Amino acid sequence: MLIEYLPGDTLIHRLDVRTKMFGFLGFLILSFLFLDPKYQLLIVTLTGLLAFWIKIPLQKIWRMMLPLLPIIISIILITGFTFTPGRFERVSSQAILFYALPGGRLGATVGGFLMGTTFILRLFSMMIVSSVLTLTTSMDDFTQFFQKMKVPVELSMMLTTAIRFIPTLDKKRRLILEAQKARGAKFNEKGIVGSIRSYIPLMIPLFINSIIMANSLSMAMLNRGYGLTRSWTSMREISFAPRDYWSISCIMLLLMLAVFVRFRLHLGGL
Amino acid sequence: MKTVKTVETIKCIENAIELINISYCYPHVEEPCLKNVSLTVQKGKFMVLMGSTGAGKTTLSLCLNGLIPQLMEGKLTGQVSVAGKNVGKTAVQSLSKVLGLVLQDPETQIIGRTVEEDTAFGPRNFLVPLDEIKQRVDQTLAKVRLKGYNHRLTEELSGGEKQRLAIAGVLVMEPEILILDEPTSELDPIGRSEIYQTLADLRRKKDLTILLVEHSSEELIHKADEVVVLNQGEVAWRGIPTELFRNLPLLRKWGIKPLPVSQLGWDFYEKGWISFAEIPLDIPSAAGVIRALLPKYGHWQGPAAGQSKDRLLKQEPFLSEKTISVQVSDLIHQYNSDQPALRGINLTIEAGEFVALIGQNGAGKTTLAKHFNGLLKPTSGEVIVEGMNTSQYDTSDLAKTIGYVFQNPDHQIFSATVEKELEFGLKNAGFKGQAIKERVEQVLQYTGLEKYRSVHPFSLGKGERQMIAVASILVLKPKLLIIDEPTTGSDWTGVQTMMALIHKLHAAGTTIIMISHDMDLVAQYAKRIIVLKDGEVFRDGTPQDVFANEQILLDSAIVPPQLCRLSSQLKDILGSETFIQSSEFTALFESGEKSRC
Repeated sequence: MLIEYLPGDTLIHRLDVRTKMFGFLGFLILSFLFLDPKYQLLIVTLTGLLAFWIKIPLQKIWRMMLPLLPIIISIILITGFTFTPGRFERVSSQAILFYALPGGRLGATVGGFLMGTTFILRLFSMMIVSSVLTLTTSMDDFTQFFQKMKVPVELSMMLTTAIRFIPTLDKKRRLILEAQKARGAKFNEKGIVGSIRSYIPLMIPLFINSIIMANSLSMAMLNRGYGLTRSWTSMREISFAPRDYWSISCIMLLLMLAVFVRFRLHLGGL
Repeated sequence: MKTVKTVETIKCIENAIELINISYCYPHVEEPCLKNVSLTVQKGKFMVLMGSTGAGKTTLSLCLNGLIPQLMEGKLTGQVSVAGKNVGKTAVQSLSKVLGLVLQDPETQIIGRTVEEDTAFGPRNFLVPLDEIKQRVDQTLAKVRLKGYNHRLTEELSGGEKQRLAIAGVLVMEPEILILDEPTSELDPIGRSEIYQTLADLRRKKDLTILLVEHSSEELIHKADEVVVLNQGEVAWRGIPTELFRNLPLLRKWGIKPLPVSQLGWDFYEKGWISFAEIPLDIPSAAGVIRALLPKYGHWQGPAAGQSKDRLLKQEPFLSEKTISVQVSDLIHQYNSDQPALRGINLTIEAGEFVALIGQNGAGKTTLAKHFNGLLKPTSGEVIVEGMNTSQYDTSDLAKTIGYVFQNPDHQIFSATVEKELEFGLKNAGFKGQAIKERVEQVLQYTGLEKYRSVHPFSLGKGERQMIAVASILVLKPKLLIIDEPTTGSDWTGVQTMMALIHKLHAAGTTIIMISHDMDLVAQYAKRIIVLKDGEVFRDGTPQDVFANEQILLDSAIVPPQLCRLSSQLKDILGSETFIQSSEFTALFESGEKSRC
């Protein structure tokens, strides 16, 4: 998932974090409601439109998806062979395409492959929706959300600090890497044992440095009064605007429609 | 009315800090870190705490805000009170309202992602209303000269800015007492004077008590009201700074760096030429003293004679055969899409030279140095080191002939004993069994680390760890040694030990390239100085040539060492000569002394 905030001024950026969270939940329900890949494709398109709206960096998305390719293929294969015909409501889905092993064992069902495709598309829409959420919502907003949801201050503090220290630790990692390279360390040894061994000179100083840093961070936090009270002043009051009510109504409507289609019209199953 | 007034005056001389018989022992350590320390600091004073590494300076400041014993275990006896509050009985968090402590490393004190978020952290914990927080944040940022930085990301700030932000984070809670633990150790001279300027401003504007922990500094002598010297956990001396800095034997005893001009003055004092109070502490008074003494005791034949003598000295190195160690041609380096960090560097460094690379933070010193061992490859141009074109070799291959010691030893130490740490480089270079043992043995002796052979490196002090870092490179017997800031955070004794080692290596024929902010060291040891500015070579020459023109150097934010500035003040007497060693100054008087006898 993309975690860095993408500055912008679209409607999605301006929505209240709670509305966005609700929308996220809505898409989650939507995509778990339907089993038919056709409907999933519709959802992916919908999320794709959202992504297009906030001008998501396409290259990054592609780079994120690429390593997943083997997983995608294996998911389709596994579902194709393991879902027995009895698990599907529709007759067309129960059809068996061929048997992988002689003697009528391990049959590949049409429904199984469709199910695999659904899983994949579901994964896609989840990735896109969550990226849209994180890209348009600043860390501040998330902390606000946690606070509104009565999540303890410690937890949101932990999250903010963790995110603050990612670049710092990465810088440390680079410095350590350079220092060890200057002593002739090679970080491209072959084999699993070799590569683990070659990373010891990197990992140990990184752990030690993190512990030292954590120690002085705890001092610095106490120095600045952290933990005196169990809450703190919020830096920004979030509030609903008319656009939030509109958006929530739209999402509700969409959800009701979806439930109606799925359970009344009995569409979208397998 | 009268009673009110007396109450007020009593309040005025009230002590901000009061320590009574403090002793503290870290857990699992037998020797106490602080021994019976009693100390009072009056309200509104600017006090400096000095002493060598391990004297207990940091420990003392942690005692003052209650982190000892509330966060750290160990045995503490005695009583600490701060602004009338008993530290033992007040939580660290409540104390932070009256006493602000800025720790050494700014990186781990910055909690927020943006400057505003970070500065607001303290007041938010005290549930200060939002409007007031915003107001206070803006005011505080203006005080530390970070006005308008509110929405900048903290990770993108420079070292000096981070340090000032760390101070802001504490100041925003409006404490009465401010304690700073070595806030300038990793800054360049400009960054350092900015911090001191900030402190001076703060003091003027508000009745703030300041306790500053520092190794030593020229600028502080006239700013601080009082100095306290800690030595091995005990208060060794207390008084006004000028007293201390005139007394050279005391400074030597406690491992505090003396000022170069006062060193000169001490010589005169010992000869009985001037009184103790006349020992100069700044350049104008030093110039005055020399002017006054020259006619009486001097033996100066004018610039011409001195110059010819100097010429002879200079020519000596040229007699030996030249081999080129580093050859840089048209080097340009660009990180990502930004402005180039290096723009067209041309350099030749001969084998056996001692070169100092100086310049402001961000001038490109480290970027250039990293090209010498292949950690960075040229964007365009060529770097040939010891006959190898760095773009064709991997760093791990170059490491066998080119040593690079980084600033922070903690970034490389990973073994359980000093001995094993030294073996790492040799193993990488393909050495086996007996050969490794022999070389490690040699280097342990050479660096004086023998006694720590089977000790865990992290149980040693910073100075020793720095030495381990150097030793772990020396085992490879590099022909060229690059050292990045070998003395940051070390005390005077540590600095001298390290520089003596580097000097010994240079004398043995190793080519040395040293990156440093310490101009006194650069002037004293380097034979050639390269000044970088905005990714270009700004000046290149002998220390005498480079440091001669103060005005030009100011452009690249470099302040020449004290003695060079002194000699440019004495231009009318010395002519075009620039003196950089104190021996050159004393030489002015040597013959005169003889004639007196």
